[in-house]
Amino acid sequence: MSLQAKIVSVGAWGHDFRDWQDLQNLFNGLAFEDDGAKGPKPEVIPANERRRAPLPVRLAVESSWQAAQNSPFSPEELSCVFVSALGDTQLTDYMCKVLAGESKQLSPTKFHNSVHNAAAGYWTISTGCMKAANSVAGYEESVSLTLLEALTQIENEKIPMLLTFYDAPVSAVLKGLLKNDEPFAVSLVLAPHDINADGVKINAEVLQESAQWPELKNCSEQLKALYENTPTARILTLLQLLMMTETNPQRTLDLPLSAGSSMRLIAS
Amino acid sequence: MDISLIDYQSTSAAGINLDALRSALSTQQSGLRANDFPRSGLPTWIGRVSQIDDIDLGEWQSRNNALANIGISQGTILDNIEQLKSRFNPNRIGLVMGSSTSSIDRTETAYTDLNEEGLLKPEYQQKTVHNPHAPSLYVAHLTGITGPALTINTACSSSAKVFASGARWLQSGIVDAVLVGGVDTLCLSVLHGFDSLQLVSENPCRPFDQDRDGINLGEASGFAILMRKEDAQHSTGIELLGYGESSDAYHMSHPHPDGLGAKLSMQQALKMANLNPESVDYINLHGTSSRANDRIEGQLVSMLFPKTTRCSSTKAWMGHTLGAAGITEAIIALDTIKTGIIPGSMNLSELDHDVDITIQAENVEQTVKHAMTNSFGFGGNNCSLIFGQEQGE
Repeated sequence: MSLQAKIVSVGAWGHDFRDWQDLQNLFNGLAFEDDGAKGPKPEVIPANERRRAPLPVRLAVESSWQAAQNSPFSPEELSCVFVSALGDTQLTDYMCKVLAGESKQLSPTKFHNSVHNAAAGYWTISTGCMKAANSVAGYEESVSLTLLEALTQIENEKIPMLLTFYDAPVSAVLKGLLKNDEPFAVSLVLAPHDINADGVKINAEVLQESAQWPELKNCSEQLKALYENTPTARILTLLQLLMMTETNPQRTLDLPLSAGSSMRLIAS
Repeated sequence: MDISLIDYQSTSAAGINLDALRSALSTQQSGLRANDFPRSGLPTWIGRVSQIDDIDLGEWQSRNNALANIGISQGTILDNIEQLKSRFNPNRIGLVMGSSTSSIDRTETAYTDLNEEGLLKPEYQQKTVHNPHAPSLYVAHLTGITGPALTINTACSSSAKVFASGARWLQSGIVDAVLVGGVDTLCLSVLHGFDSLQLVSENPCRPFDQDRDGINLGEASGFAILMRKEDAQHSTGIELLGYGESSDAYHMSHPHPDGLGAKLSMQQALKMANLNPESVDYINLHGTSSRANDRIEGQLVSMLFPKTTRCSSTKAWMGHTLGAAGITEAIIALDTIKTGIIPGSMNLSELDHDVDITIQAENVEQTVKHAMTNSFGFGGNNCSLIFGQEQGE
């Protein structure tokens, strides 16, 4: 049985790109003029909240906003699923240091920001979206599992969805285990496949065989390193596929889902 | 929806397994105790599962994994998983776990014992434990499930939402059975985090009471096996009839003052179940015993449901078990269909003056056809589930 949807827009923010156009330029070998920004400042979050929003939240909300703006939908029409493979390890670091001490007095704002669904919370609060908001984790398989979660929801509920993949640099203490050292966020808006809008149709099948993450080809060493070290950046392989639609009308991608299953994506 | 429950189990301070939970519920025996969690010292009451204190899982060690280990070993869950693995294929069995803390307890412990350079000592270098996906990674390892395994971390609605995702996976035909679960354990982050928000009570909690003064934290695990009805060779006789998922779009840690998000999730669940509010016999309320939650949820339920719908919060038995609360209370709610005993709202002596619902401290014996449960989490994340007696073909 296959799952179908149409990708209608993309948003992106990373160390060497500020939007989807920048990222496409990067794939095409064009240099990025660094503006020195350490993280995005998404205008959609009210100023007083934005100051308190941690980096992973700002990354996720910025790329979500871009994708929503580039789509035929307003944010409040979109159910959403957010995924961070590594979580907010800077906040974990803060909390664990305080809790290892005597006083154990935590900042209430930092505590509520420490939930894994902080990005989904800030996004729905900032945009007034009252739809279902999911926040998931899948470690190395974060990207494929999130696509699966969204595709089954689109199939069952006939709704458009926002998918946001993001991770931030890992704290010093956990860096030996979880590698990422770059800010990264990519968002996609997916709609039911029969929607009357521009986009790339994807057809997904779950196979009972394991797969390896495909190599990211024809791009800079820096993008390759990001792809290797940051589980959520594996979405780059699907983005590269989207860019090739014009030259190559049907493209296939096999992504690992679990020890014994994989997802075959066909874009057309 | 035609999604059958094949088996379910619960572990909390109220009981190590479903039988013990049923007994604690029917005799109104609370599992709460004065806070004795190591290194905490916070004056409050907690729902602690002491049986997990001394478990050592080696490279998988964390308090959260220990509770998942004990929880999944209760009853017939593992036997049923083994049968399903041989009947279908382990690659065709899915796993969806909910948790808010994952294994943050282990990270906390590691930080009390860093090496001279301030880094993790070898025994704490556990990349599959210091990880929000830890519960699914560990349960997949324990059960040999090799199909898709996802962790949902939406704070206190996490393990209610596992039923929605599990049902969708089954309806899309990508798996033949799904083990859904929730596990969350006591740790300093949640005890002192909720204390920083001034939400923790120094007393045993009293959900919906006029004089309630906050929540008690607890730990729990719960598991359920879901299948498409036509594939089930045996079942508990209970099915999932509907789910609702919504957002408050209001505040990270305070519920919407009119409960608008919660209203949407309850209405969606009713619509999917194709039921009128009159048909719901029992609602296990989120009922944290915080001032705000109980007033807002109570007022909303009185607007949406008739007086014939009985309500209670069961958090005075095991505390608020956060990411495990969804499945713990889903099991309490759906089990009333089997037992015919609706648990009371223990510790309730005088109902909140602003709330007008059918709720009392004592248990009530009554036939239940349809039971609902509410779970609301930080970030304004809401989920409602409705279960019913399985109908014959």
